[in-house]
Amino acid sequence: MNGKDEQISALFKRTLFFENPVVIQILGICSALAVTNRLINTAIMAIGLTLVTALSSLTISAIRNLIPRRIRMMVQVLVIASYVIVFDLILKAYLPAISAALGPYVGLIITNCIIMGRAEAYAQSHPPLSAFLDGLGSGLGYSMVLMIVAFVRELLGFGTLFGVKVTPESFVNWTIMIMAPSAFFVLSIVLWIFKSFRTGTK
Amino acid sequence: MFLNPSKLGLSREVPSLKDFMLKQPMMRRVIIALLPILAFSILNFGWKVLINTLVSTGVCFFIEYVFERMKKKKISEAVFVTGLLVGLILPPSTPLWIVAVASGIGIFFGKEVFGGFGRNVFNPAMVGRAFVYVSFPLYLTAKWNLPVFPNGFKYWLSPELTTGATPLEVLKSGELLKRLDLFFGNISGSSGETAKWLIVAAAFYLILTKTASWKIILSTVGSMMGLTLILQLPGIVNYNVFDAVLSGGVLFAAVFMATDPISAPRKEAAKWLYGLIIGVSATIIRTFSLFSEGIMFGVLIGNTFAPLLDVMVSSRSGKK
Repeated sequence: MNGKDEQISALFKRTLFFENPVVIQILGICSALAVTNRLINTAIMAIGLTLVTALSSLTISAIRNLIPRRIRMMVQVLVIASYVIVFDLILKAYLPAISAALGPYVGLIITNCIIMGRAEAYAQSHPPLSAFLDGLGSGLGYSMVLMIVAFVRELLGFGTLFGVKVTPESFVNWTIMIMAPSAFFVLSIVLWIFKSFRTGTK
Repeated sequence: MFLNPSKLGLSREVPSLKDFMLKQPMMRRVIIALLPILAFSILNFGWKVLINTLVSTGVCFFIEYVFERMKKKKISEAVFVTGLLVGLILPPSTPLWIVAVASGIGIFFGKEVFGGFGRNVFNPAMVGRAFVYVSFPLYLTAKWNLPVFPNGFKYWLSPELTTGATPLEVLKSGELLKRLDLFFGNISGSSGETAKWLIVAAAFYLILTKTASWKIILSTVGSMMGLTLILQLPGIVNYNVFDAVLSGGVLFAAVFMATDPISAPRKEAAKWLYGLIIGVSATIIRTFSLFSEGIMFGVLIGNTFAPLLDVMVSSRSGKK
């Protein structure tokens, strides 16, 4: 329990870069592979995950002293699930097309390791505000990586960005980029760049 | 890497660093065996084949150079084999940028990310081909050129065969092929795989110089013929077993790709099983899937199991 909160800039540097949940901690890979074929789907997913992580971290941190230790996991899942259901219902009501495209992956945010990880590793032992910021930063770190992957995949796989055609007519779509295996290729390159950059700065 | 075969507790002679120089004459013999096939292919399909090969070799060489410079090591001769192979296993009409993508992806994801020469799990040339095959099916499966042997040197690219079926499609539809045409390469197909007689000659050369394992070649081709025979019984396939082996890239892949000493198993007993896996999966894929040829996936599947087969065989012999 460190009483002194870290600086906000240091916190974001940590969550976005040095401890980026996707490329450094290798968490949340399933959804990174599943939803990154179009930027618009990825953006919605990223917003959802960021909000859920931030708000559930906030809630768990606020009630952290009331939760008996032995059942804390169940309480955490309950909190996370409530926020995911709220987000899922909003999506179904206002963006039914994207909700259909994302399929089960919105519901599967509940099982995303990042949220659980932040709740366990940070929110349990920090005051609400810094837990909220930590969740927000982690969500943004996840979003950043996913957007990079989706950018490459949509550009090569469809020749579009956010559904807008940006490549010349003669461009041939790379069919493999639409399929899940390509996410492994792109994600691994992003991971490599991040890691070598990180070791370079340290 | 977690798939690094040397960490699997085997006393296998991984051909890296230590016997670095020893391995390379082997690669040179593969290059020698490939050159007549390249020459025939030029006479058959035109100069485009040579350009394809030059582009693929150039890209492979460049990427290998960049990586080996970072590690301050020497470039392996194997990179020229990969380059030649990529050029020869693509159709002659493949656009040059696709050739470049295939060789780049193949050498990068198939070889360098595993740590370079001697450490790759998969055959780099096959990785490259599989990537472009899935990405650009239009260019890899729909445009086949007519053979014009021996007038290819007059052409940039021999006239395109747009309507006719490829030998493999003919085979699937059940019509009869001219076996002599198949054997002497008077057919459309990927640049290097048409001249079966040259491939057979190359196979003998490679086996006699102990460059390629005859066990792998024999078990790959043999298991393919065997399974085709079995499939004939209930009438699932109705073509001759020799046609089955002579059409498509089976022979080329069995002689040059499956026998790649790095991605194939080291133990002698494992080599039989390895060829069996390749032959059986290739036959199953070409018979039951939408893909017309399965040997490419067959070799990659075989590569996947190669380290496991080595472990299996050595643990077996350890118990006895």
